Amino acid sequence: MSVFTRMYRGETRFDFVAISRKTLIVSAALVAVSLLLLLVRPLNLSIDFTGGVIVTVQNEADADITEVRSALAGIGQAGARVQLTGEGYILIQTESLDSNAQDLLVLTAAEVAGTDVNEVTLDAVGPTFGAEVTHAAIQALVVFLFIVALFITWRFEWKMALTALAALFHDLAITAGLFAAVGFSVTPATVIALLTILGYSLYDTVVVFDKVTENVDLMHDRYTYTDIVNTSMNQVLMRSINTSLTSLLPVGSLLFVGSLAFGAETLKEFALALFIGIAIGTYSSIFVAAPLLALWKEREEEWILAGKRAQRRRGGAVPVPVAAEVEPVAAAPVVPPPVSQTQGGAAARAPRKRKKRR
Amino acid sequence: MNRKRALVTLLVTVAIAWGSIGAMLLAGWAPKLGLDLQGGFSVVLVGPEGTDADTLETAAQIMRRRIADLGAVQEPEISVQGERAIIVQLPGVEDRERALEAVGTTGEMSFRPVLNLVQASPALTEPDGDHPDNLDPVTGLSDPDDVDSEIAYLPDEDGLFVYIVGPAFLTGADLEGGRAAFQPTGGPGGAGGWVVVPEFTDDGGEKFRSATGELAGYPVGSPQRQLAIVVDGVVGSAPAVAADVNPAEGLDPNQVVITIGASDEPQAEAEDLASILNYGALPTTFERERVESVSATLGSDSLRAGLIAGLIGLLLVAVYMIIYYRILGVIAVLGLTVFGSILVGALILLGETQGTTLTLAGVTGIVVSVGITLDSYIVYFERIKEECHSGRPLRPSVDHAYPGAFGTILKGDTVTFLAAVLLWLLAIGPVKGFALTLGIATVIDVIVSYYYTRPSTWIVAHSPLGEDGWFSIRGAMGKGTKRDTRPEPVEVAS
Repeated sequence: MSVFTRMYRGETRFDFVAISRKTLIVSAALVAVSLLLLLVRPLNLSIDFTGGVIVTVQNEADADITEVRSALAGIGQAGARVQLTGEGYILIQTESLDSNAQDLLVLTAAEVAGTDVNEVTLDAVGPTFGAEVTHAAIQALVVFLFIVALFITWRFEWKMALTALAALFHDLAITAGLFAAVGFSVTPATVIALLTILGYSLYDTVVVFDKVTENVDLMHDRYTYTDIVNTSMNQVLMRSINTSLTSLLPVGSLLFVGSLAFGAETLKEFALALFIGIAIGTYSSIFVAAPLLALWKEREEEWILAGKRAQRRRGGAVPVPVAAEVEPVAAAPVVPPPVSQTQGGAAARAPRKRKKRR
Repeated sequence: MNRKRALVTLLVTVAIAWGSIGAMLLAGWAPKLGLDLQGGFSVVLVGPEGTDADTLETAAQIMRRRIADLGAVQEPEISVQGERAIIVQLPGVEDRERALEAVGTTGEMSFRPVLNLVQASPALTEPDGDHPDNLDPVTGLSDPDDVDSEIAYLPDEDGLFVYIVGPAFLTGADLEGGRAAFQPTGGPGGAGGWVVVPEFTDDGGEKFRSATGELAGYPVGSPQRQLAIVVDGVVGSAPAVAADVNPAEGLDPNQVVITIGASDEPQAEAEDLASILNYGALPTTFERERVESVSATLGSDSLRAGLIAGLIGLLLVAVYMIIYYRILGVIAVLGLTVFGSILVGALILLGETQGTTLTLAGVTGIVVSVGITLDSYIVYFERIKEECHSGRPLRPSVDHAYPGAFGTILKGDTVTFLAAVLLWLLAIGPVKGFALTLGIATVIDVIVSYYYTRPSTWIVAHSPLGEDGWFSIRGAMGKGTKRDTRPEPVEVAS
């Protein structure tokens, strides 16, 4: 039976916790690289945050937005914000420019508007998404994280809250790092995309943790915590894959069309942030949040004991629903290592719960 | 659940969702689009020569708060332009008057002592030598008005009276704002009434204390006990200092309330005065230089690109869901239209009543919420599969899977809803628009899941599409699950 058939039936037996020991290292490295990148190469903030210059010119030539945009793209200002006013002016906002680029901008504006260079006015413009707005957004974020942590602690437990936040940090750091690496400008829209990732990542993690909590109730006297996490993740695997696919398809087409369509610069950056963020969000709920939780919980006395019990039983014939592809251990040691994180990976080959039927 | 109840629930839900959106569209209502998608009106405000950068920044902040408080226009874009201008772009505003109304009174506010109160009369059009130079010979009023001038002739709002006032005690900069409140007792005749509570800066509070002390020295009933609140050269209100105030002490700025006198609409009047205090607190006088419509910042080309992309994306999602989940996928896709109708309906309603506009940020909220609502279906359907694979017959599986799935959906939506509410309460600007759409969407998701997904899945499970054929629910479960009809499953080794 192929792995896809098993996935379709929800009968996979991947040992996520064992796999994640490698992926956690990759994740940690990626986060570190992202943070370094952010330090070395700060984010390219758009005019909404930094302000810039605004050019106003009477639209004698009756140029439409597309014409103005293409003229601006010709001088490397494809990201400029262009507006036409009801009284026949063209407004062009760009980031702050050096004097050469400024002259070029004024020249181009005059040309496309069909007026004299002296008719063009150029002014500095402040940020619309100024310090106050940014401050309010950050404040909202901090309060939100705190309340979410409280909520998860209340519905689940505090260790889940902390691992969920760790996964969240992982997602945001890597997405921001990618933006710094690619040099895309950060607009209010991409900030929204980051917030979206935040909600998405948390939602995904909550779904996984919900399953873990449910399985703890069902399985706690027979299995180790790692086993339970593995079982839960195999159970939610198809949900995770389907959900990310159905979320990524619209965003992906936005990214694709945005890259092709002229003047859809904003859409492109925005869709990229969303695409990466959603993909990483799904990844982190499976490969970061849940494995971290498993590693942590295995240190609790209750679960160390559960690990011992499970190991003793494995000498007998009690099946464990994990680790199909891992080598069996001959016999259980009398005193298992205090941290039983290795047990999930080294457990006896699990016979299937039920015979396959056609 | 029985067949009748399931059918009625499903039909009512679908009828409400599709009916209301149909009615709104027939009535010609559509969501209001934001600045980035549709454009709006732009107002350029220019301060006096030599206005410093900090003052401009403060004014922009006050303006941002003022427009947010008025609530009629959402997500304005406000920035400082050049040396002394503020550019305010208002989305969803189609005419000049609305734009000016939203930007509101931009003039300087001051508190000035009333020297005398006279009826507006032509007699004043012939000022004698005592009058200051800036008295307009036609109206008999001071023009331009200077807050520091020794004597000024200013009209009240209705133009019925002219207040003769002295130099200002306090200006807008001494005030933090004000709020309207209902006082249960202590109003005229001991009854309750509407009051306005001004809030002063530390400095302003001291000025207010000494000013009211000075005014309290005049006999009760004299117009000279009155303090004129002047905005843009017009006396908005002129409360008198109460009879029991000690001239030596003045009024405690932290305990002062302005009582609204006899009025048909005391609440409205209190709120008006409070808004004058709030918004008159601009640090300097601004003139409206240009008021004009502006086009969208994103441009119709990118809007079209975005729409095409969205449609392609939705189509792909629909195809995927139907191939993977068969008839259940059809339930999900139809459910998406129910969800979408309610969401767009809610946005239209908010646009009509609150001036909420849909920006790119809001559209993202929608895109994300589509993901979230599809996830609710996937969580449920995967649970049904799980139940079937554990050997439970199909119909009990469908029933048994729901409570657990609903629990998961509820927890996930709660986290997202929390996020949305907090962002909405605390953030400003585009973040607010995003939070609004997302928050509404999570609520709708829970409602749709309970009143649409559950009954529709139940009905399908109890129809031939439950068990028969590859397109049925059973077909979507994959091989290896047993049919309800078979008494004993046939075991075949793989």
